[in-house]
Amino acid sequence: MKRRLGLVCAPVLIASACRNLPGPFAPPVQRQPLEDFRPYRMSAIVDMSDEDARTHFVQDLTSNATPTWRWTGKRPTVRVRMRSAENRSVENIKFTIDFSIAGVMLRNTGPLTVSFLVNDVVLDRVRYERDGVQHFEKAVPPGLVTAGQDTTVGAEIDKTWVPPEGGPQLGIILMRIGLTQ
Amino acid sequence: MRQAAAALFGAGFTVAACYAAGSLLIDQLRAMLRREERIPLAFILGAACLHLAIFAILAVHIAYWPVLAVVLAGTIAAALMTGAWRGAHTESGKPVPPLSKSLRMVFGWCAGVFAVVYLVNAWAPEASPDGAGYHLGLVARELRVHGFEPITNDMYAMLSQGVEMLFVPAFAIGRHSAAALVHFAFTVALALAMLAYGRRIGKPWAGAAGALLTFASPVVGADGSAAYIDVATAAIVFGVFYWTEIWDDHQHELRLLIPVGLLAGYAYAAKYTAFPIAIYALGFVAWRSKRLRPFSKSLRPVLLVAGCALIMAGPWIARNWIWYQNPVAPFANSIFRNPFVHVMFERDYSESLRSYEMPSLRPLALEATIHGAYIQGIIGPAFLLLPVALAALRFQAGRRLLLAGALVASTYFANIGARFLIPSLPFFSLAIGLAFAQSATILMALMLLHAAASWPPVLNRYVNPNCWRLVRFPYKAALRIVPQDEFLRTNAHGYAAALMVDAKVPGSEPVFSMDGILDSYTRHPILVYYHSASNETLADTINMGWNEVSQPAVASVFQFPERKARRLRVVQTAQAVYPHQWNVYELRFFYHGTELTRKLDWRLQAWPNPWEVQLAFDNSLATRWRSGEIASPGMYLDVDFGREESVDEVRLVASSDFELTRLQLESIDPSGGSEKIADNPATVNQPVPQGIRRMATYELYARGIRYLMVSDKSNGAEDFAEDPEVWGLKLIGHTEGERLYQTIW
Repeated sequence: MKRRLGLVCAPVLIASACRNLPGPFAPPVQRQPLEDFRPYRMSAIVDMSDEDARTHFVQDLTSNATPTWRWTGKRPTVRVRMRSAENRSVENIKFTIDFSIAGVMLRNTGPLTVSFLVNDVVLDRVRYERDGVQHFEKAVPPGLVTAGQDTTVGAEIDKTWVPPEGGPQLGIILMRIGLTQ
Repeated sequence: MRQAAAALFGAGFTVAACYAAGSLLIDQLRAMLRREERIPLAFILGAACLHLAIFAILAVHIAYWPVLAVVLAGTIAAALMTGAWRGAHTESGKPVPPLSKSLRMVFGWCAGVFAVVYLVNAWAPEASPDGAGYHLGLVARELRVHGFEPITNDMYAMLSQGVEMLFVPAFAIGRHSAAALVHFAFTVALALAMLAYGRRIGKPWAGAAGALLTFASPVVGADGSAAYIDVATAAIVFGVFYWTEIWDDHQHELRLLIPVGLLAGYAYAAKYTAFPIAIYALGFVAWRSKRLRPFSKSLRPVLLVAGCALIMAGPWIARNWIWYQNPVAPFANSIFRNPFVHVMFERDYSESLRSYEMPSLRPLALEATIHGAYIQGIIGPAFLLLPVALAALRFQAGRRLLLAGALVASTYFANIGARFLIPSLPFFSLAIGLAFAQSATILMALMLLHAAASWPPVLNRYVNPNCWRLVRFPYKAALRIVPQDEFLRTNAHGYAAALMVDAKVPGSEPVFSMDGILDSYTRHPILVYYHSASNETLADTINMGWNEVSQPAVASVFQFPERKARRLRVVQTAQAVYPHQWNVYELRFFYHGTELTRKLDWRLQAWPNPWEVQLAFDNSLATRWRSGEIASPGMYLDVDFGREESVDEVRLVASSDFELTRLQLESIDPSGGSEKIADNPATVNQPVPQGIRRMATYELYARGIRYLMVSDKSNGAEDFAEDPEVWGLKLIGHTEGERLYQTIW
């Protein structure tokens, strides 16, 4: 009986005795402080390649698009929100936009003037005489953006164009737009 | 079209080899089987044998497609040449009452139509999350290196892969769809075996009804037509049961227990949760042999079953014990402690699998049969009749079916996913069929109603939209008229991300991911944040960058009269509640305000989680040692200075949830005795370094990982997306809601 009990218990004891614990360790390589850092910069940018880009659209963003850009109408506008957090400020906010002007449109309409807006306040107006990719960036006046609240950012194109095959009125080809710090 | 043909050929070749291997063994055993039961039973038994051969091929690292093809072709040739293929010892069997014409028609049409739907879905490009994720991800990885390799950063690699072994040759020839088609073959084999079982017990109508209840069950359709393993497991489990019945019918011929044992072990090798069928087999054989005398004679059948089971399960147990220090990895980590899976993770994971975030388990019966909102699928409303199956207790077969079914289902509450019900479905389905054994009309109505309720367009009308089910009849994709790439981009979430990784990441560099993607479509190892202890630790470091609660914001300071000590230990004395762990970012020692410089002859220990103790001594406020389980009295961090040092202050940096623990400082003498030096340390605030995000990312880089993928839906995703530069990252790709970053170093 004792022998049988021993046979039954042995595997359990062997298994529970198998503590594969390591010996003591020496201290590892000591990390040195990183020096090339800067404070975190908040941003709230809608990239047309974002999966959720559509949820930010307010007006005048057409369905004529690829995964990375989208034709706009006369006054494309999106809604963004700067996240609020205790240890972050919403100072030094910049409006930023990347877009393209189509050559075929420019040939039909002549030079375009684009106004850039934050919460319907015009930040600047720029005249574009050449086609191609454009980048615009400008500081937003203090107080115009409140952390944790929706902000509308957009552009207004002075002339629009309808392609010969028809369709909606087209403005610029938008890649990304929003606010950054 | 070539891809479609390759898939069909790869699957057909593998299935034929399984059947051939099973036929050869059945022939050797001189097992007398009816033709209708021989085909499915030979396939299932042969799958067990072939799995072992492929395990051996992978173990010796010769998994090249010519080797696999020779093994498969050799097995088929041997079966053809010996006559085993045709079944030289096939028994005609005693006459069985035929199925009525109407019942035959109902079963034939219903099963036939569902079979076509399943076949087309299996043949189409593999888009299932787990199938194209880890089941085939591991197969693809094994084929890339032509064998097994210890994968310590993926808990799925630690699971036994009994069915995946059959996916290996199929995948080598016909890629993903071939593997799914092999699983589809198991689905058909299970239905045929159930049908044959009904005939064996003289109740063919019950067998037909039971087979259709299981075969047409929505979760069986979704699972059985993808590269999953649950329906295969069900077929293996039912095979064990079937062979015990054959043994019982054949005057307990000892040799007929060999398939019982082999399949019982193979069930474990296929899926851990199927182990209760081995208990059933051992118990049944012991019970039926109890009258044999002397006692040793009654023990022989049981030992034979156990021995054969060990042949199949043993290699997996041994592999896990050798590689992962845990025979049942990734479970039981508190017994078999190892550096690869945290005890806490196992608890978190088990908790989630026990509830699937269902607010209450009270509506589980309706959830599993009608809704499928949480548990990923339904077995079908017909199974609400399960209590009626108790009426089958009036038959001997019913009692055995219900006992086996109850045992197999006993592990269900450890994981309430609908597909975890699949292995017990054959038993309960047949028991329902037996319950209505006297009425062919009721059985026919039941079959028709179940088929109608499981038909995809009907299913769409009542299940929750999140319910996992077949929703397409992708015949154009199956035939590759619609290109595979196009189909997958539209229908397989995680496919585009896998392609992005291949396009942007060079060589076979690993990618750390905060989300699972379809691993089998990329050549890169994807280190998913929760798949191992090391991944969890890295994820903890990275998440600390944006999550203020877990940042190193407080310090516990012991100050005491100057003393000399050779070895000091900080002991945790409080009992915390789930899920609070003890964590320490840095443990530092001071004398007159100057920190003792850490020397290489210091010796560091921790309990529990001793493997990660260095994280508390690496001079980085981005990494922390965590206990890996709920903080409890007796946990400690221990430092042996190697010689006596003067100390008057000890400082532990931790996160702000530190107050859940209570600490005391002890001096340990050479004999192991301890002396309390101080307790109740003062808590002071600790400034969090401004570059904490970049420090976190640097830890990724320091471990040889230069790529990080973050899903837009992951917690903290916007923090990375807003300012990757401050993290030391640059965005190199963005698709399907997944952003791929590269470290700047």
